[in-house]
Formats: sequence, C-alpha cells, structure tokens
Amino acid sequence: MQRENPEQQLIRQALESRTRRHFLQNCATGLGSLWMATQASGANPGSGHDRQNPLSPTPPPLPARVKRVIYLHMVGAPSQLELFDYKPELNALDGKDCPASFLEGKRFAFINGTPKMLGHQYKFQRHGESGMWVSEQMPHLANTVDEICFIKTVQTEQFNHGPAQLMVHTGAAQMGSPSIGSWVTWGLGSENSDLPGFIVLLSGGRLPRVGKALWSSGFLPSVYQGVQCRSQGDPVLNVSNPEGVTRKRRRQVLDTLEQLNRESHRQFGDSETLTRIAQYEMAFRMQTAAPEAMDLNQESADTLKSYGAEPGKESFANNCLLARRLVEKGVRFVQLFDWGWDTHGSNQSESLNHGFRNKCSQTDKPIAALLQDLRQRGLMEDTLVVWGGEFGRTPMRENRMGGTMAFMGRDHSPEAFTIWLAGAGVKGGHSHGVTDPVGYTPAENPVQLRDLHATILHLMGFNHETMSVPFKGLNQRLTGVKSAKVVGDILS
Amino acid sequence: MKSAYLITLVTLVLAGLFSDFDLGAEEPSPIDFTRQIRPILQAHCLECHGGVKQAADLSFVHRDAAKAVIVAGKPQESLLIQRITSSDSDEVMPPPEHGSPLSPTEIKTLTRWIEQSAPWQLPWAYEPPVKSDAPNVSSPEWCQQSLDRYVLARLDQEQIAPARQAPPWQWLRRVTLDLTGVPPTPEAQRVFLSEVSKHGHMAYTNTVDQLLESPAFGERWASVWLDQVRYADSRGLGADGRREIWKYRDWVIDALNDDLPFDEFTIKQIAGDLLPDPTINDLVATSVNRLTQTNEEGGTDDEEFRINAVLDRVSTVWQTWQGVTFGCVQCHAHPYDPIQHKDFYRFAAFFNNTADCDLNQELPLLPVPLDPADNLKANRIDRHVDALQQSIWERESTLLDSKDANWRVVDQMQAASDKATRVEVEIREGRAEYYTVDTVSSNTEITLTVSLEPEVQRLTAIRLTIAPGNPEKAKADSEWGFVLSHVQAALQPAEGESHPLTFTRVIGDEPKPFKNPDDSLNGKTNNGFAAYSRIHYPRTAVFILDSPIEVPRGSQIEIKIRNGVTELGAFPLIAKRGHVAISDRPIFHQLLNDPSLIQDRQTLAARQAERSKIPSSRIPILMERPDHLRRPTHVFTRGLFLTKGEEVQAGVPAALPPLPGRNPETGSGADSPDRMALANWLVNGKNPLTARVTVNRIWARLFGIGIVATEEDFGSSGQPPSHPHLLDHLALQFQNDFQWSMKQLIRSIVLSSTYGQDSRIRPELQEHDSQNRLLARGPRFRMPAEMIRDNALFVSGLMSPQMHGPPVHPPIPAGIWKPFQGGDKWKTPEIGDPNRYRKSIYTYTKRSIPFPMFAAFDAPSREFCTPRRLRSNTPLQALMTLNDPTFVECSQAFAKQLQTVSEDLEPRLRYGFLAVTTREATKPEVEALSDLYQQCRLEKTSEIDALTAVASVLLNLDEIMSK
Repeated sequence: MQRENPEQQLIRQALESRTRRHFLQNCATGLGSLWMATQASGANPGSGHDRQNPLSPTPPPLPARVKRVIYLHMVGAPSQLELFDYKPELNALDGKDCPASFLEGKRFAFINGTPKMLGHQYKFQRHGESGMWVSEQMPHLANTVDEICFIKTVQTEQFNHGPAQLMVHTGAAQMGSPSIGSWVTWGLGSENSDLPGFIVLLSGGRLPRVGKALWSSGFLPSVYQGVQCRSQGDPVLNVSNPEGVTRKRRRQVLDTLEQLNRESHRQFGDSETLTRIAQYEMAFRMQTAAPEAMDLNQESADTLKSYGAEPGKESFANNCLLARRLVEKGVRFVQLFDWGWDTHGSNQSESLNHGFRNKCSQTDKPIAALLQDLRQRGLMEDTLVVWGGEFGRTPMRENRMGGTMAFMGRDHSPEAFTIWLAGAGVKGGHSHGVTDPVGYTPAENPVQLRDLHATILHLMGFNHETMSVPFKGLNQRLTGVKSAKVVGDILS
Repeated sequence: MKSAYLITLVTLVLAGLFSDFDLGAEEPSPIDFTRQIRPILQAHCLECHGGVKQAADLSFVHRDAAKAVIVAGKPQESLLIQRITSSDSDEVMPPPEHGSPLSPTEIKTLTRWIEQSAPWQLPWAYEPPVKSDAPNVSSPEWCQQSLDRYVLARLDQEQIAPARQAPPWQWLRRVTLDLTGVPPTPEAQRVFLSEVSKHGHMAYTNTVDQLLESPAFGERWASVWLDQVRYADSRGLGADGRREIWKYRDWVIDALNDDLPFDEFTIKQIAGDLLPDPTINDLVATSVNRLTQTNEEGGTDDEEFRINAVLDRVSTVWQTWQGVTFGCVQCHAHPYDPIQHKDFYRFAAFFNNTADCDLNQELPLLPVPLDPADNLKANRIDRHVDALQQSIWERESTLLDSKDANWRVVDQMQAASDKATRVEVEIREGRAEYYTVDTVSSNTEITLTVSLEPEVQRLTAIRLTIAPGNPEKAKADSEWGFVLSHVQAALQPAEGESHPLTFTRVIGDEPKPFKNPDDSLNGKTNNGFAAYSRIHYPRTAVFILDSPIEVPRGSQIEIKIRNGVTELGAFPLIAKRGHVAISDRPIFHQLLNDPSLIQDRQTLAARQAERSKIPSSRIPILMERPDHLRRPTHVFTRGLFLTKGEEVQAGVPAALPPLPGRNPETGSGADSPDRMALANWLVNGKNPLTARVTVNRIWARLFGIGIVATEEDFGSSGQPPSHPHLLDHLALQFQNDFQWSMKQLIRSIVLSSTYGQDSRIRPELQEHDSQNRLLARGPRFRMPAEMIRDNALFVSGLMSPQMHGPPVHPPIPAGIWKPFQGGDKWKTPEIGDPNRYRKSIYTYTKRSIPFPMFAAFDAPSREFCTPRRLRSNTPLQALMTLNDPTFVECSQAFAKQLQTVSEDLEPRLRYGFLAVTTREATKPEVEALSDLYQQCRLEKTSEIDALTAVASVLLNLDEIMSK
C-alpha cells in the first residue's frame, strides 16, 4: 500500500500494468511528455516509495530547510494583545466607546452594538538583542525572543472555534480534509518506521471541539492520520499485548501468522499479502519503540526541571519534552494542543485577569525550555517550531448579550493575530507584518493562513501549488483554491 | 492557478492508457469529438478558456461559447485555427509562456473536425446511455448472464481467456460476504458443496436467492449507502453533540431488505414529505437531508451554518446520484463540465425553503414510534392533527388582516426599553414604528405607549407587527429573529388608574410554528409568538382580549414586550422593529366562540395528547416553510453567502434533460419546481447519470473497482469507463428490465460467469492488468472495516443477531472517549451483554471521535459524502486486530468454540481454519498451527490459552480480511 489517495491509487495501479517505456511509446499525441512534466514538477510526492512501508522516508522534491515540525496550538485563541502585539494607543482608548468604523460590516461571535475599547491588561517590555516586545506574562519565553520570528498579521476567514481550528490545521472550515501533519507525512514519510510519523499530544484537560478532525488524514490514507499518544495508559492505542500474552508468545504467534500468510500468498499470488506481513512486523517493533519514546523517566532530573515536567502526568510541560524526544527519534510532525485559552471574560477561568495568567504560567517555561533544548541538541538546525491559536482577540472588551461581563475578556477576532515560528529556515528576533494602532487589523503585510501553510510546505521542500492530490474532480491542496504565497520575508 | 487543475493531465494520461484498449487503433474518418477533440482542448486550452477562467470570455467547456471562434465547415475562417497556427508570437495560442504549440497532428485533427462542420458532443456521461446488441463472443456458452458477453468480448479483443471458474467454496465465500457481510459457516459450506455435486448450477441460484432474503443483506448494503449520505449519530461542528437519527439508518436497512426500487428509494429520501399523505417512513426517509453538520458552538451564525447545510445537501445529491462533483460550482462555473455557476444556486433553491435552520433543538422533529407496529396509528393521528391545525389556522388567521376587523394603525407611539437597549420611534408609511438602536441586551423589555384615536370607544384586539431591523436588506440577508416571551398590556385612561388588559388568545401568521404564540401570554415560559431563529419579512400576531373593553376618550395603551430568548449564548432575539394596530370590532369573539372551532381545538388537543403517549424517537426531518415565508435564493458572488448576487429560481443545468412535466399526483413539475420535481427528474429514466452511477457503485463494491474507476467523478475530469457498453447495458437493464430493483441487479451480477471466476492472480496478466480492469479473474481485496470486525465476531460465535435500534457502544480502549460535551457517555455493555457484540453498523458514530477500529481501517468519519473508500495496510491495523479488546475477546471465544469441536487437536485446527477462510487447510497450514499449539503447551501454557494463541493467528490471517 502506498501513500496515495483513491485516484492516485487507481493511477498507480493502472500504470503498473504498463512499463513506462511501453506507455510512452503508445502515446502518439505527446501525452507522455506531459506525464513526465507532471512528474518533474513534483506533483506526486506520494509516489514511488517502498511498497512494504508507506511511511518510508523520501526526499522532498525541492531543497528543504526543515525536516520536522513541532506545532504548539493554544486551543481557544490566546490574546495577541496580552502577549506579543504591543499597542500603546490602545491603552489610551481604554474604556471608551468603540469607534463606529471598527464595527461597520463586521460580524462578531458575541459582541453586539457598540462595545468599549480595552487596553492591554499586562505590561510589555523589549527583550533580547532584537528588542522584541513581549508581555510580562511570558518571562521565560522573553529570554528566547532572538530565536523567534513573529507574524503579527495572520488572518483567517473563520471566527468560531471549530471551523477556525479546522482552517488552521486543514486549510478548510469543514471537517474532512487532511491536516498539515498528514500532508507532510504523506509527502516525506517518517525517519522512524517504528513510530507513527505524525503524533498528537493533548493537554489542558479537554479534547478540541472538532476532535480528531484536526489530525485527520481526510482523503489521504489512514496511515497518515495523526496518532494520539498519551502520557497515561497505553502510549499508542493497543500497543500493549493483552493480559497474559508475553512478547515471546507474540513473536511465536507472528511467526506462525507469517508462515500461513506466505502459504496464502503462494495460493492467491496477491502482493497485498506480503505488505500485510511487513505491517505486522512493524507493529511488533512499535510495541517496544513507542513506550520507550514516551517514557520521560529516561530524562535527567535537570531536563525535567527545566521543562517543569513530571513523568506520568498529563501536562503541557510533559508534552513539550515528549515533543523533543519524538522529533529526536525522527517523528515527522508532532502536534500539541493545549486547551483553555478562550478568554471572553464570562467566567474566571475564561478571563484575561485569571485563567489567562494560569495558561501563560503553564506554557511559558516549557516552551522556552523546548526551544533551548532543541538548540542545545542541534535539532534546531532542521526542526521548526510553530506557536499560535486559531484567531486573535478584539481590542474591544466583550459585551456578550449587551451586558457588562464579570471579568476582563475579549471576543474572537479573525482579522489579525500573532503566530510565531522558531528554528530552521526562519529569521530569529524578527517580526513580520504590522497591525493598526489598536492591533485590530493588518496595517502592513497581511498573511493568510494559506500563506503560512505555503511557507511551512516551502520550508519542507514542497511547492504548495504542486503538492496536491486529485480527489473528487479537483486537485486538492492544503492551501485550497485561492492563491497563496510563501512569506519570503521571514525566511532566513 | 496554473496547477490547480493538473488533474486534466492525469486524466489524459489515463485516457491515453485506455485508448490502447479501444477497438481499432486507426483514426476513423469522421472525427469523434469526445475521443479526439476534447482531449486536445483540455490539454491546451481549458486552463485559460475553461469554466473557471474564461479569458476573453471564451470557454471551450460550453458549445455556445466556443462557437465564437469556430466557423463550421470553414477552418481557415475560424479564429481557432488562425490562432493556433499563427507564427506571430503575440498571436499564437497557447501563448508561448503558457505552453507548447499544438502538434501538427493535433492541428490537422482540429482542422478536419471543423471541415466536418465541428459537431459538438457533451461529455460522455451527459449523453443518455445507448442500448446495444450483446456483442458476439468466442464462447457464448461461457456467458451465463448478458453482462458476460460484454466482458468476454473485451477479453476476446485482448486475446485473453477468462480465468477458470472459482472452486465452489471460493464462490460461496465471496457471495456470502458480498450479500451478507459475514462468511459462510463451515456447515453452510458443507451443505453447499453437497448441493453443487447434486444439483450443479441450481445450487448457485438457490444460494443467491437465500442470501438475498437474509436480513443481513440490508445491513451490509446499508453501510455502502450510509457512506454516500454521510450518516452519523452526532452533529459535527461545534460541540458534536449526539443526534438521535438512528431511525433513518433502520429505514435504509429495511428499504434494502424490502428491495424498495431505487426510484422510490430516491423519491422518499429527497421529497418524502411532499408525497400525498406521507407515511411515517416516508418522512423518516427525508432525515437523510438532516445528516448535515450543524454548529452548536456559542456565537455562531445560524444562517451561515443553515446555508452550509443546504449547500452540502446540493453537493451530496450530485455526488451520490449524479457522480459529479458540484461543490466547485459554488464559487465559479465548473472547470470542465457544462455546468454554470448559477446552476449551483438554482439547484440550491430546491433545498432552500425547508424549516430547519441550524437550531440546537434540531427542529423540526418527528416522533417516530419505537415500535414500528405503532407507525400506522401514529401516522393517522399525525395526519388528523396536521389537517386540524391547518384548518383551524386558516379560519383564525383571516383575522390578521380581515376587513371586518377594521384594523386601525397606530400613528402615535412612545417607546422605552430597559438594559442597554435603546429604542426610538419614527413614522414610516403613515404609522408609528419603534426600532432599536445599536446594542441590544438579552432579556430586554420594550414598552410601547400608544395613543388611541378619539373615535375609538372600544377595544377588542391588538395586532403587533414585528419587522427586521432593516426590512429591505433582511429579505435576502435574514436577521436574527425574535421571541415575544411575554406580552402584557394596560389601558391608561386620561385620568385615573390604569387597568391591565387580559388576553385570551394569540393568533400568529404560521400554521405550524416552532413556538406556540399563546405562550406570549404566559410569563412563566420564554416561548411565544416568534420568528425563530431568523426573520426575513415582517411578522404579525393578533392578541385577542378576553372580552371587549370600553375605552374612555384620550386613553392610551401601554404594551410591554419581554424578549426573553438568547440564542447560542450570544445573540439576544429581540423584536427590533414594530408597529401596532387596534380593533374595536366584535368579529374576534364571534370567531373564537364559533362552536365548530371550539370543537376542532378540543379534538386537536385530544389527538395530540393521544399521540404523545406513543413511545417515540424524535428525529429531525424535512418540512417546507409556508409559501408566504419562502426564502429567496440568490447566487453567492464567489461562493460567499454574505455577498449575494442575482435572485434565482429552482432549476437544473441546461446540459441535462429538463425537469419532468407536471405530475398529476403531487402537482410538482417543471412549472412548480420543488424537491418532488427534482426527485422525479433524477429517476424518471431520462437522466443519463442516475442509473449509471448507481450500477457502477454496486459493481465497484462487488469487484473492488468500478467500471468507471472514479466513482465520484463521471465528469470529463474523471476516468472514462473501462467497458462503456457494459455500463450502459447494466444501467438500462437496471432502470428498465429490473424496474430499479437493486436485488435483481445484484443477483444478475453475482450469478455471472465474470463474477464466478477464480480470483487467483494470473502472473501473466499482472503486468498488463494488475487492477483487473479487464475482469480476467474474480475479485479479491481487503474488506471494509465493518466487515473485518463483523467477521471476527461472527466466526468466534459472539455476534448478536439483534437488528435495529439505538446505537451501541462496544468496548473501546481507555482514554479514547473524551467528548467535548461530558454528557455524551460511552457506556460499554458488560461482557456477555448482546449489545457488546452487535454488527458494526449499529455502533455509535461520532464524527469528532470515530470508532478507533473503523478509523484504522479506512472507514470515513462521515462528515460528507464519501463515494468510495481507500484500502490501506498499516501497522496500526495490525495492533488493532491483535490487541484490541474486541478482537482479544473474539480470540478467546473462538478458542472455546474450537474446544467443543473435538477432543483432538487436528480437527480443532481444521475446523478453525475452515471457519475463517471457508477452505480446507493444507497440510503445511495445519502443521504450522499445530506447531504453535505444541510450542505453547511445552511452555506450560494451558490448553485454552494455547488455543487462544491459535485463534489469534486465525483471526489475523490475510485471508480473513480478504474477500
């Protein structure tokens, strides 16, 4: 079985019945040269791999700076105005009626009528040699700003959590498309065939609302879907043998199974049978590799301390450390989701003055430790770290149902939010895009999510226009049908 | 954009591949547009002159547009030829930077085509299927079914002999799995082999007839249909809460078991509610349209997600019945197929007037009796209730603008409000109208004080008309609606105390509103007269006083309106604009006291009470909105619902046959295009796609690949059929000879010689035809997820035969079930409880947390139509079938079963192998299993554990997963 979608599967299978030479000879009208042109442009990254291993590593079609990605998604959308986008003029407007021009033609999730403006809730300071502004809520991260490339003008089309999270991870607002992790794992395979190529780690106590649709393989084969790994229980689903079955016994069972499957292959001549034998062997190896990779007890006390990690718990800190362990072992894409960033001000935990501070303190140190750890181990040379939410938050204070909220909070704002990248291929201590004086809309260099996707693919050696699969009559791409561009300014 | 439609190239490559198989390699004299011209246009022209981009307004997708550059019969006068042959680099097409020039052969072909007056053809699938004579074949006696002739003719052409007939066990296994989803038992295998030796061919037909009668038939094939219509037991976006809609799943199973002809199957699902006197089941069938995702997230625009659902219905109908991807037409004309941008919205208009609108309560709901035996009774009551409601409303609603009421429109009003909401009053069309300004707060109370004209001496009723905040804009872009949760009024004489007015009834402008208008009088509920949850047009209700009241001169009336509902935790549903009229006529009390109305209202209440006593599952269905509240449909510019273009009427693309004429029974047809007309259009026998797509789907499930391999795309970017005449033959047979009977179609296929071939892969054909497109052997491929699980349950003897009912929750690994809403519990039945071992089709399908086993084996999570599934082969699948609790339980149960077979080892092993593969084990196979067993025993493993190890091998064999 190959990394391919249904139509590619058909195409590949059809082509198998012909040698290439035979095929080209038969194409009187120059179709053969067209076919070769599509091959040369890298249109089919998923083709031509080890038949027995759909995750076998393959080089990207273009030069790449990034081999692995760690994506830190702060579920609920953290406020850019309390973290990275410093706007002194916003403080001056605090408590005043929002100007009508900010509201015309806009739709909001909760704001109605005329809300009040809301100044920064925390102090900002410049940090590092680059002098990047960071709020006092991220003191550890502030020490690493010279590693970080901020994009302050990311835009999305969705302002409700479910569709917006899908936009970030799949490029589409409806469920059912492959996520970035699936795309790149499909395109590149994994450097460690004993582990899944795309691993998902959750913290914050809740599954994101659209759940597995965020790490779905969509119309790509299921082998490229994100595999959720856990700090408690089986690290990978069904990786442990059933009670009473020893590893030795499992080996005996698999040996017998192979014998019988080979006999069946002799009778029916189906090559899928051989592929299945190979999958069972990989599964057997995964049974030791996965628990080993997920075991934080193997880390030194100093390392655990620097992340604030505690083996056996479910926490964002543990997940950051696990992410490093996994990329170290060659996992292609590690996706972290941390729940709890939706700060409307409707209750204490969803407020800028309470819950938000907790979220910052839970994530600040681990993220800084992760960046430092990757740097120290030389992994920053070819690993990319991405941090962000699914949209931004309004410079206005939320006035849900036309009332005054009990706590401080901001509504959803899709027009400008901050995502940052760090590591291979991107400038450190750099900021791209400028928002207007209140941090509401882009003043310069808006960046669409699809531009961010195009940029990540570019860093991994793909052209986002040609990395596509034909499905339902259209060449499907992560970046969709609208035109997308690589954000050249952030590349190092 | 350059590569967005690269698929063309791939298609061409495949077209090239298949051209090998075509009859006669020589170019026939009359130019064939489909075979010779369209590929040239697609390769060189369509990227700029296609459906999406129409540079210089020229498109080669549509004949009329292309005519601009073609002078029939005169190639040299045709701009097309002039430009492709131009030597001027500014003139030549395609421009050098876009692509290489056309080859001399291509130019010659185009020239000859224009000489021959440039005949145009629609893409093949848009032309009707053609009846053909069965071809002559080398071996007529090989052909058991008419379809075999088409297959053999093609093999003859390639000079390939068909494979030998499959051994009887192999055929029995294949057909049993295909028709019932589980393998034959060893006993069934024994009986069949003996029947074959006694009766030969008869044994085959008898077996097929028995299998078609098995209730498991419907369960197996329902799974295929549920993929098309994206069946799930949850809502999708937002919180992905539970949706109770399993009665639809059961309806599909029963419809397939009853062999409901596909035309009726279609009509009931698309327009069952519009049938004359629809039955409960007719209405249940319409639930298919309610399988769309909804969004319960706070702060989500109901109209946005209602529209998403409507558009998904459009796409699903096209994908499922027409095999055409319609979704791209939402934003622009179809890139390759003759479908215009506007066609999408004309089609959407069929679905745009149903009452559902992304409400959390999923309204409208139908209580479907849990016991189907109650269906008839419930339906009788429902019809009676409907008729009564309609008739009562028709009589009462005359009051809304009756001349006899002599409504006096109030032109003097003061308005006030509480909370942060502000109101003002303006004179509009001669009447005083209040409206809210800016922020509206939840629970706002609006107080209107109206002055009465001096000549009014008596008051009998008050009429409130509530309009959108922006009445003009709302017609196309609806606003959040309102709910008048509590309406109170008082009479304030010029001098003295005010008296509260007592109302007795509220009459609204809808026959079957979601909320009861009378509840506006009850301060204890938040319900009442409403536009729920959206408003397009002004809405009117009459509040009738319990008795007429005398009005002293100079009196005022104070009306308090409480707006108590907030939608999705975010949107206060406030009556944003309104005016008042009053009446002094006695007509209201005459009507309310009308004995027949009183009688009818009593009967209605009694019947409703009777109906509510029937235990039921309340499921979302389709229901049309009344005509006077019909939503207009507009083209969305670039597919965005906030930017509406021209208004459109319901209709179908011009490239396909027109809507059928008026159906006397339902009154629908071309002159009143509704969903019923649409359903008839799909299945009246003139539609070129429906039967082809349907037979192709069935064929693909049986053979592993369709005659059109791209089941989802019969358009010009899909693959052409491997056997075009066979496809047409089957399509015509299906709709004409078989009268749309799916069972007859399947019967004819599984009794064919083509299907009955040995599936052993022929090495000599592997290079030429690895996918078995030529059908020179029987099908063999990995089964879908549900069948793999069901097989393990079945052979181990655990499977429960129970059919139908609410979804079940078989074991899942710990840590999987963390639903967004904690209330959605996964309650796994205890070991031994039959609900733990039900067929996979009854497993609770939650979109955000797919059942792990299904997800690992390529089952779609049912967000939208999945025409066909992938078949992958992964290590996580191996971990699933080796270690998952269900499979472990199956191994243990299977081991126990083996113990009962015999005291001796070899018969146990042989039985186990036979149960799993339907064939006798070879000597080496028995030895391998026996070695494992002995090894285990040597290591002091108990007999049962050693057998469990053997069972685990058997349940993981490639053969148990393969058909």
